[in-house]
Amino acid sequence: MMRQTVLVCAMALATGFAVAEPLTDADGIVARANLAAYYAGEDGRSEVRMVISDAQGRQQRRQFTVLRRDVAEGGDQQFLVAFSQPSDVRGTTFLVHKHVDRDDDRWLYLPGLDLVKRISAGDKRTSFVGAHYFYEDVSGRRPSDDTHELLETTDQQYVLRHRPIQPESVEFAHYDTWIDRATFLPMKIDYTDASGNNYRRVEVLEVGEFDGNPTVVASRVSDLRGGGQTDMQFRYIKYDLGLPEEVFSERSLRTPPRDWLQRSSD
Amino acid sequence: MNRAILIALFLPLVALAQEDLWDDDVWGDEEQASRWSGFLEAGLGTRFNRDPQLDERNTFEELRGRIESDWTISNTVLAFKADGGYDGIEQGFVELRDLTMSLTVGGSLDVKIGHQVQTWGTGDLLFLNDLFPKDYVSFFAGREDEYLKAPGSAIRLTRFASLFNVDFVWTPVFEPDNYLTGERFSFFSPLAGTNVAPRPPLSAVEPDNSLNNGEFALRVFRNIDGREYALYGYRGFSKQPSALTDNLQATFAPLSVYGASLRRPAGPGLLNAEVAWHDSRDDRDGTDPLIPNSQVRVLAGFEWEAARNFTVGLQYYVEWTLDHDELIATSPTPQFLPAEFRQLLTNRLTYRTGRERYIWSLFTFLSPTDRDIYLRPQVALRYSDSWTLSAGGNLFGGSDNHTFFGQFEDASNAYVRFRYNY
Repeated sequence: MMRQTVLVCAMALATGFAVAEPLTDADGIVARANLAAYYAGEDGRSEVRMVISDAQGRQQRRQFTVLRRDVAEGGDQQFLVAFSQPSDVRGTTFLVHKHVDRDDDRWLYLPGLDLVKRISAGDKRTSFVGAHYFYEDVSGRRPSDDTHELLETTDQQYVLRHRPIQPESVEFAHYDTWIDRATFLPMKIDYTDASGNNYRRVEVLEVGEFDGNPTVVASRVSDLRGGGQTDMQFRYIKYDLGLPEEVFSERSLRTPPRDWLQRSSD
Repeated sequence: MNRAILIALFLPLVALAQEDLWDDDVWGDEEQASRWSGFLEAGLGTRFNRDPQLDERNTFEELRGRIESDWTISNTVLAFKADGGYDGIEQGFVELRDLTMSLTVGGSLDVKIGHQVQTWGTGDLLFLNDLFPKDYVSFFAGREDEYLKAPGSAIRLTRFASLFNVDFVWTPVFEPDNYLTGERFSFFSPLAGTNVAPRPPLSAVEPDNSLNNGEFALRVFRNIDGREYALYGYRGFSKQPSALTDNLQATFAPLSVYGASLRRPAGPGLLNAEVAWHDSRDDRDGTDPLIPNSQVRVLAGFEWEAARNFTVGLQYYVEWTLDHDELIATSPTPQFLPAEFRQLLTNRLTYRTGRERYIWSLFTFLSPTDRDIYLRPQVALRYSDSWTLSAGGNLFGGSDNHTFFGQFEDASNAYVRFRYNY
């Protein structure tokens, strides 16, 4: 019954978007895409696994559970990441307090030393736990960090170009996104360097519907220059759990909130 | 036992273990269940020069295995982690790292009882208010960083509240640092005026096992908009055997510590500041030559990402020995005493390449007042999720052989470790 209702709602929503006049304001599209990609529901939970493949085909894997809570829709957010695989990072937890008006606060808990290590803000465009994904891909790049231009509107997608306001702080000259007109999920992102080479691609491989929210369930980031890629899959996705703010504190680094991290029985 | 044979036997055994490749089954429900994990490690550390006080040239030579797991029973978590193996210097060993029971009482009180490693404070490899046991022997020998912290048997209560959080740790039986005994490293003896490696190894006199001699540690802390404030208190004993009994045996002087710390973002990085008053309860006027004087310790640090994947940390630390004049006047060996204001500068450089497959780091301790230095270069290669290789060194130097790092000049070493995680 529940599932049917969700399906009907989703279809109604999808149809509604499809017949709507296309948007023409690039900033407005980016704002909608930001909400769709990072702010679905008031909060959320997902299990994530990554396969990191280098150019030689060697693979590493990571598995973790992410809890997210929105402090304000489109604004500050909190993330808790608890690693379960591989064995040498099991028990490691990562806490982010994402801010829109200042640098994010980030903490990493290393269980072997019982050490709550704080991570300096600095460059967020560095590898997240060895993956081709960046820290910024996990918690989202601020829309205000770039200028946005609508290049093209197709039947299915908006194609936009984004240029960094502070080019010295990033490794790209610009990036282009293909945003689904119905769900507003960015389906593909191509990064171009100063010489005009497309060196990095993030693409969505599969989208699902959870608690009424279109959600990425499989994605890939590829290193088009050096080879190698990271595949990411999401499962056990749930929204609007009612996660309390206390879950996103130092307490959860040392003592992961099992009630919220474990898969719910329903 | 012949080490070469031992290692030759060990490595193929590890190589037989299969890489655990990703497959679809891991989403199964058993994924969240308890599992056994751990590692096997072969490590060797060796001095550049022989220490004339010691027969053994190596700082460690060991095969180490770890097993760990945890179980959740209702709202209680049981955790177990232990190492065991063979070490060429101290022979067979078993070390319990974690055996604890954790539960939450009434929603806001976390209780953790048992053998556990604990850490707090803001310093990077400098500890002002963290009086939990440490193992500098492992640290200097070239073992993995986690062995710097030694476990202790304690009851930890953490209460979370909106105004502030409180951590209280009771260690019923005093747990000293794993101090230098002369077994693995020689150390400077002011009475002998030179480095010594006593046989039998140094065994300091520990406080009697009475409830009064337990350790109490307190931390009151709060995070306000990304600024972390903390107050600390400790009542117990000096963790190093830096005092002498009336019979001139090494022992641990009664010690209380009161302190505070702040950690916050500042400009492009993170700022940390910490202060601690070490109150030497049995020598408050500083006139007892057998007991260390009280000290005030101050730390300021800054860490930032100077370039992509390149992090720099700087710390300035000073140990102000109170009643220094009295110390000089009463000490039988005043020529070996550190300055009234012993200063230390540290620098940590970390460079990550190949998406964190290679981590290059250099940690430097430099004391302008002691005129000594300690360098810790290391490279860690994560070959796969199973295999890691670490190689590095512990390089000591100093103008004098009686200063903290200067005494270990002959202990300068290089090490290599292979680890297989399962």
